[in-house]
Amino acid sequence: MSGWFAFTTDACLLLLFVAAGLCLYRIVVGPQAADRAVAFDSLSSVIIGMICLLCIRTASAIYFDAVWILTLVGFLGSSAIAKYLARGRIF
Amino acid sequence: MLLEVLTALTMVVGTFFMVVTGIGLVRFPDVYTRMHAAGKAGTVGVALLILAPSVFFVADQPFVTIRGLLAIVFQFLTTPGATYLLAHASYVRSYPVHARTEVDELEHWLPTYPDDQFGHE
Repeated sequence: MSGWFAFTTDACLLLLFVAAGLCLYRIVVGPQAADRAVAFDSLSSVIIGMICLLCIRTASAIYFDAVWILTLVGFLGSSAIAKYLARGRIF
Repeated sequence: MLLEVLTALTMVVGTFFMVVTGIGLVRFPDVYTRMHAAGKAGTVGVALLILAPSVFFVADQPFVTIRGLLAIVFQFLTTPGATYLLAHASYVRSYPVHARTEVDELEHWLPTYPDDQFGHE
């Protein structure tokens, strides 16, 4: 792995930390529950991106299964919160 | 070398879209515009960020590429659906739109329940 490529990966990881901080700000101060749910959804997307960059940085694909897991869990969580908000119950 | 250039390109563009998503989540005024930021830019950003290891491992570990492409397809199926469900729920729950909203096309089409008369069974 050449030097500029490692530097680019590290810079992208730092910028993703900034994006995660912005999503956390909306989770903390968001006035309604739907704001927090949307921010949580994009926070899980940011964490998926961080795992992908970690795979590239360490040049090993053993973390790549977590991408699947986070995709599934993020979608289920968001749709469960949406159904609870719309109906007052989940099932 | 070519693979590294392609990987760096997808990484940088995907990270740009994720930072734009974060800025939109902080700066937009109401919940529907925040969903606009998170549902579109977030989907494209995470798809590009999953594409980056798919390109990077295409030579020595091709199964990672297949799994990555399937994960991108799954993201494009689920993330807009979850955002739609949340938008529908917050409109039904009559969360307020921003004061400068000019057209509300769902006004006469979708019943809304304010918090105080929300139906408990």
